[in-house]
Amino acid sequence: MNVASRLPDNSTAALAERPMQSTKPPFLGFGLGLRAQHYDEILSGNPPIDWFEVISENYMLPGGQPLRTLDRICERYSVVMHGVSLSIASTAPPNFEYLQGLKDLAGRVQPKWISDHLCWTGVHGKNLHDLLPIPYTNEALDHVVSRVQLVQDFLGRAIVLENVSTYVQFNNSEMTEWEFLSELSRRSGCWLLFDINNVYVSAFNHGYDPLTFLNGIPADRVVQFHMAGHSHMGTHIIDTHDHPVCEDVWDLYVAAIKRFGRVSTMIERDDNIPPLDELVLEVNRTREIAERVLPQAGKPAG
Amino acid sequence: MSDFARQQADFQRGILTGDDTVLTEILDSPKEKRETLYGVYRYAYGSRLVEAMRNDHELLHLYLGDETFEEMGHAYVKARPSEHPNLRWFSQGLPEFLRTAEPYCNHPVLSDLAALEKALNDAFDAAEGEVLELAAMAAFAPEAWPDLKFRPHPSAARLDLSTNASAIWLALKNDETPPDATVLDEPSRQLIWRQDVTPMFRELPTEEAMMWDEAAGGIPFGVLCEMLATYDDPDGAAARGAGYLHGWITSGNLTAVSTE
Repeated sequence: MNVASRLPDNSTAALAERPMQSTKPPFLGFGLGLRAQHYDEILSGNPPIDWFEVISENYMLPGGQPLRTLDRICERYSVVMHGVSLSIASTAPPNFEYLQGLKDLAGRVQPKWISDHLCWTGVHGKNLHDLLPIPYTNEALDHVVSRVQLVQDFLGRAIVLENVSTYVQFNNSEMTEWEFLSELSRRSGCWLLFDINNVYVSAFNHGYDPLTFLNGIPADRVVQFHMAGHSHMGTHIIDTHDHPVCEDVWDLYVAAIKRFGRVSTMIERDDNIPPLDELVLEVNRTREIAERVLPQAGKPAG
Repeated sequence: MSDFARQQADFQRGILTGDDTVLTEILDSPKEKRETLYGVYRYAYGSRLVEAMRNDHELLHLYLGDETFEEMGHAYVKARPSEHPNLRWFSQGLPEFLRTAEPYCNHPVLSDLAALEKALNDAFDAAEGEVLELAAMAAFAPEAWPDLKFRPHPSAARLDLSTNASAIWLALKNDETPPDATVLDEPSRQLIWRQDVTPMFRELPTEEAMMWDEAAGGIPFGVLCEMLATYDDPDGAAARGAGYLHGWITSGNLTAVSTE
């Protein structure tokens, strides 16, 4: 593949002239991460879930049941695509084959938006399949801004990036994570997926107040919340997504609604997946809290 | 190399090889030492990939047991780091690894069992394709039949097994005690495909396997029958060929037929 021919002009001058202005994605209401264990229950019932988030890579496949099921879900629900392998902060060359696969899937799904994480997954041709942390340096920021712009040009739309749970901090960081995210969003035009559990996890692991993080993010750039559970190891917390949302994270959710207003919210469970009913209870709780804090927040647009 | 790129290379090397260079650039947290915190990434790497292998190879896992599968999985992760962004493809090289790496290569049933599971996984999410109906065959006059060529369904694949892995697969699937592993005198010739959304396999007689392989290679029906005549009773070759073809069509193994 001739990569050079597909690269937009990303010289500093060209980038400065074209900040991507995109319309803010709509409020979808209160959703859930789609998991194969719940396919039948969702399609045969009518669970009170406003929208689904799908893991993009689970459907970047040639065919078969996963894609057929996804088509049926898309007929009935609003869907957003959430990837784990964009590796937007990697210093390795961009993977255009992956991006084309993502774009093809988006053509089929017509997602309300496409998200991934502010992280990297590997260099030198390797993929570690993890959401790896970055130093919050100006060099890293310049790099990620240019990558986001490249990806947005390739996909033809603004993307949404999520703060990840981190376990380490680098000694060469020059700014906080929230300053990095804010600048990244401002300069590249990407929107933000504010993972409330990840803020809680990272704040505990690095010894800062999660409200400082929350208040450091520009209110108008957040288009989605993630709510999830984690595993507490005593001295640190691991973001395992295998437990119900804990009470501290519910408290932080209230604070997030007060700061960011009406934001599409979803429950994200990736392991130890319970019956759908159990997760619907958590979805209901996201809705009830939003309606209590912001009385007009409950109804999705359209 | 930029400082950022150098740091990512160090971070990755620390996970893949245990090198500690990157620790000089990581901070202790208020409650925990950097070695432990960085260790979260080191541990997650191997365990996540072995978990993916467990999902792809449930019956191999059952056959080997937790401990041996875990050990084998980590050996595979070390030998073949992932190079694809999609975890779906990580364990594609497992049959080949088990066929060639000590001590697993001394137990050929392991490679065969992995190959059968891989083939079924591949059929599960293979590309969509039309399913040829029997009625379509009525469109061809008898004199056109020798020129008929067949296109397999995109999910259909052939696999030769040197052991009784298919019998072991069936026993494990049915929660029965699997038979002892044996190396067969002649390979068992399997055809794998997807029926609607379900992956299937069945064993083919040697001559049917030959006919399938040649048909998939574009050899027309008339020549296929001539080839069948060399395997068994020449007078019954055309009838046997028609019988195999009937089975392929009714099982949904073919996607098209033409005289082109």
